[in-house]
Amino acid sequence: MTLSTINISDRDHQIAKLSAIAIALSLVEFFFPSPIPGVKPGIANIIILYTIFKFDLRMGIWVSIIRVFVTSIILGSFLSPTFFLSLSGALLSLLSLIIFRNLNPKYFSLISFSLIASLAHIIGQFVIVRLWIIPHNGIFYLLPIFILSAFIFGLVNALVTNKLLQLNPKK
Amino acid sequence: MIKEILKFFNTIKAGDWFIIILFCALIIVSTKFLWNLPQGEYLEIYKNNKILATYSLNQKITKIINGAKGDTKIIIDNGRVRFVSAPCTKKYCIHQGWINKANQIIICIPNKISISILGNKKNYDSINY
Repeated sequence: MTLSTINISDRDHQIAKLSAIAIALSLVEFFFPSPIPGVKPGIANIIILYTIFKFDLRMGIWVSIIRVFVTSIILGSFLSPTFFLSLSGALLSLLSLIIFRNLNPKYFSLISFSLIASLAHIIGQFVIVRLWIIPHNGIFYLLPIFILSAFIFGLVNALVTNKLLQLNPKK
Repeated sequence: MIKEILKFFNTIKAGDWFIIILFCALIIVSTKFLWNLPQGEYLEIYKNNKILATYSLNQKITKIINGAKGDTKIIIDNGRVRFVSAPCTKKYCIHQGWINKANQIIICIPNKISISILGNKKNYDSINY
C-alpha cells in the first residue's frame, strides 16, 4: 500500500480562507435584489483584488477560479449558462490582469487594475451572451449600460479594496 | 465616509486618470454608436395636432406652413430637417437644429406647428404612443 501525503502549506490555508470569504460574498450578492437585471456589483471581486495586492497574482487566480466553481456548485448552477457566464468573465478579467501586471506602479494604482478587470469581465460575459445565449445583435443595445455599471462598480470596488489594504498593510 | 472618499481621490495616480478618461470615452462612444436610432424616411407635419402633410425626407426643398401666429419655414435637406424661421418669441424650435432620426420631433407650441420623422416601420415612444 502506498501512502500519499499532501503537504498543506500556509499559503493553501490563506487561499482557502480568502476563497471562503469570496464565496460568501458571492452568495450574499446572489440573494440581494439587483435594480437592473444582469447588473451586479461583483463584491466578491473585492476579495480577489485584495488577494492580488496583498499577496500575489497567482493566489488571486486561485481564489477567483475556486470562487466561480464552488459558488456555482452551491447554487446548483454548475455547467449551466450562468456558470459559463461567470467563468468567462472571471477568466477574461484574470487574463487582463496578467497582461497588464507589469504596469508601472508609480503611475498606476489599484484603481486602474480594478477598472481594467471589470471591463474585461463584462466583455467576457458579453462574448458568451452574443455567441451562445442570445445570438442576436439586439443585445448590443444594452452594452453601454453594462460598460457604465462596470465603470461605477470598478471604482467602488477599488475604493473598498483600498480601505481593506489600509487596514491590513502588506507585511 | 466622505473623508474616506476624498482620501481615496488622493491615491489616484496619473495613469489611473488616463484609464478613467479612457473608460469615460468608451462609455460615450458606445452610447453614441449603439444607441443610434434608425434613420428617418418620412416627415409628417402637424398643425393643431392634425396631420397636414407627409413628405419624403430624400429631397431638398423649403416649405412654408401657415400656423396660428404666422408663417413657419422649414427646410428638408436629404434626410434631415429643421425649422428656419418661426413667428414665436423663444425660438426653441429653431434652436433644436437638424433632426434626422426616426421618432425625433420638433414642436413649436406658439405657432401650433410640429414635425415628426417616421422610419420605415413605426416604433412607438412615450410621446406618440
